[in-house]
Amino acid sequence: MAEQIVFGFAAASTLVSAVLVITLRQPFRATVALIGALLSVAVLFLLLAAPFVAVIQVIVYAGAIVVLFLFVIAYLGERPVAEIGDRLGRYQVFAWLAVIGLAIQGVVVLATTQLPGVREDPRAVDDIGSPEAIGRSFIDTYIVPFEATSLALLVAAVGAVLLAKRAVRAEGGR
Amino acid sequence: MTETVEGVPLVLYLAVSGALFLLGLLGVMIRRNPLLMLLAIELLLNSANLALVGFSRYWNVSDGHVFALVVMVVAATEVVIGLGLVVAVFRQRLALDVDELSRLKG
Repeated sequence: MAEQIVFGFAAASTLVSAVLVITLRQPFRATVALIGALLSVAVLFLLLAAPFVAVIQVIVYAGAIVVLFLFVIAYLGERPVAEIGDRLGRYQVFAWLAVIGLAIQGVVVLATTQLPGVREDPRAVDDIGSPEAIGRSFIDTYIVPFEATSLALLVAAVGAVLLAKRAVRAEGGR
Repeated sequence: MTETVEGVPLVLYLAVSGALFLLGLLGVMIRRNPLLMLLAIELLLNSANLALVGFSRYWNVSDGHVFALVVMVVAATEVVIGLGLVVAVFRQRLALDVDELSRLKG
């Protein structure tokens, strides 16, 4: 019973934070709302027997990525931000249509799915969320995606340096 | 470990994941500020992670966790490049508006 209560709070907090992320106009406030959404999803990860992923979510997402966002927002400073303008107004109805269509599809799929046990209490699971199990899975089965990930990180680092360099040169400085 | 446990069925996690995805998608489509679009993309990636970890629990395997971690790394790289672009645009004194930035060469 306790698990259902925690799930209810975490799910509600996730969705409320997500609504705030996409409705708040100031980037700083939206980023703080994103922290709420990320921490709520971390709680959901804990309920899903994934403690390692939850910890990484807090450290990498709520830590590193959000700090990067806040740093850039502080660097840019408060300035008038572009908002939903007149030119995009007539396309906004298509955005709503797409989202509503997808929502209907999702509800239909979840209501009619035939997966066994998807609506019952979950079965007990083995040790799938510990660092050891995930590490073994990474090294044994998914060594190629692991290396591809490190390559992606390298490319991103080099790309960020090149972007910064080009921006400085375009400014006519240094 | 065969006895059933009191818990939340997978379908509810999938519902939360789907709702989160829809909110993120709406955010990406109605916003013009690239910073806010990047925040909405984080929501999209998190909803995918939630579904991955949920199915990982359902099938009793670690694979979903592994791919959730890979998605987090991809999110980090995407944020680094995206924010690098935002800063580069800002230093050229252009408006932070993806509609205005429709040309690559400038």
